[in-house]
Amino acid sequence: MDRLMGLETEYGLFIDGIDVSDLTREAREVVQSGPIGAPWDYDEESPLQDLRGFRASRLKTNPADDQVERTSRSHGPRPRTPHEEHVDRVLTNGARLYHDHGHPEYSTPECLNLRDLIAHDRAGERIVWTAAQNYRQRTGRTVTVYKNNTDYHGMSYGCHENYLMQRDLPFEHLVVGLLPFLVTRILYAGSGKVGAEGTGDRESIGYQLSQRADFFDEIASVDTLHHRPLINTRDEPHADRHRWRRLHLICGDANLSEYAAALKLGTTALVLTMLERGYGAPVELKDPIEAIRRISHDLTQCWLVELSDGRTIPAIDIQRAYLLAAEELFSGRDEETGWVLREWAAVLDDLEANPQCLGDRLDWVAKRDMLESFLEMENKDWSEDADLLRSIDLEYHNLDPERGLFWTLRQEGTSRCLTDDGAIQAAMHSPPQDTRAFLRGLCLNRFDVKSVSWGRVLVRHRRRMVELDLRQTVNGSLKSSPQMPANATLEDVIESIAEFSSRR
Amino acid sequence: MPERKTQPTTDQPWTKPNDGGDESGPRSPEVERPNTRDLLERMKRVDPRQARRYRQRSGE
Repeated sequence: MDRLMGLETEYGLFIDGIDVSDLTREAREVVQSGPIGAPWDYDEESPLQDLRGFRASRLKTNPADDQVERTSRSHGPRPRTPHEEHVDRVLTNGARLYHDHGHPEYSTPECLNLRDLIAHDRAGERIVWTAAQNYRQRTGRTVTVYKNNTDYHGMSYGCHENYLMQRDLPFEHLVVGLLPFLVTRILYAGSGKVGAEGTGDRESIGYQLSQRADFFDEIASVDTLHHRPLINTRDEPHADRHRWRRLHLICGDANLSEYAAALKLGTTALVLTMLERGYGAPVELKDPIEAIRRISHDLTQCWLVELSDGRTIPAIDIQRAYLLAAEELFSGRDEETGWVLREWAAVLDDLEANPQCLGDRLDWVAKRDMLESFLEMENKDWSEDADLLRSIDLEYHNLDPERGLFWTLRQEGTSRCLTDDGAIQAAMHSPPQDTRAFLRGLCLNRFDVKSVSWGRVLVRHRRRMVELDLRQTVNGSLKSSPQMPANATLEDVIESIAEFSSRR
Repeated sequence: MPERKTQPTTDQPWTKPNDGGDESGPRSPEVERPNTRDLLERMKRVDPRQARRYRQRSGE
């Protein structure tokens, strides 16, 4: 895809006998039970720095969550350092595993193509699930891990996408150009949810497209925990900040379907390139926050949105306008781009003609079909037993291959696969071979690493500290550098970084 | 951990399928609503109180 991308997923935990007020402590223990790695380096982090050119005074917190914090019955001393709080480490596959607000969080290594990113996302599921099983063996407590975005009581947690972008695209142009696409991509990227949250009509919505659409209040801001924005403005490029920005999207759902995840990432990457090349938005939405909720809640499947010029048009038409421009620009570019363009067109056709046939590709359709089969079998309808339907919804996202409902669909072959066990197993231990994650993983395997971040590795070497600056190693593919020998020395790595960094 | 059984992917899941047919547009497979015994049995075993008991901290 020719763009550095990554996914960060916060997983939900249910631990028998553990109240939400003690979840933070136990989530830390779950993460602690994961694979060992090198400590995270916090020096590069600046969560208050805003892309719009200022520094926020603080980040908003969720009042309901603050209440949970106050009632925490956790015993023992509270964490005093970020390392104690987050038990943050970088793994040999170049990924980051840590604890955040009661959730195990897994950030994939940087990937240059969808094939790698999907395998690494799946690898993250297995790493977190295995950590939970280690925790169970150690503590005797049963633990369930969910890859979803809501607890059905108004608390949400994210699956964030990261895309490296050129800095010279003005942020305002990025927002205007991206919003209509982001708001309407839930047509294929949504993971589906029983009911609604925080909108006053919780019981009247039987089912909606997106897990996350109910949780946005702003267009753009630096916050992520409360009054969440569709576009997060945190300015942490983890690369040369004069040349690059990292677009940190927090509005996506966590996908179980590999196809839906790949389509979400692939289409977004193409739209970003279009914007970098000067393309503008085909339309302007009257109210993007209202529009994403309205599309998500629309059971008639007309998915109409209001434009700022007073017209009302189908969300599918907005997606088609982006697709048309992408086809003009990217046809014949490479194999994966061809896949994205082809499948994007196919999905829009099917959404228009017969959404039912998308159960093999889209999470929201697969889950809805599954629930309808259940209701049919039980001779019930959507108005009955909301708790049971939400519980089945939740079970779709259970990572346990013996219990999770999604895994049955995958085993049956009714969910389309884009990767396989071999690639996933490899991704659990090995970084992508063509990005700077390779250098990070290599350092962890071969050297005495003091700490690591996305843009830097500190190595203890011959009684001194060597800083490896990876911030310039983001342009293009590492594969085009001279091949790194299997027994690479630190000098080899330094030389490779210098060569990679010299490319403009 | 129990091995996750997955369907083998096609040799080239990202490449354009060469079906020798009309290339004017992609075609959708006919997909039946999942109705297998395994899936329905798993759904019947779901604890109906699980979603009510499931409480999380606010994440990002």
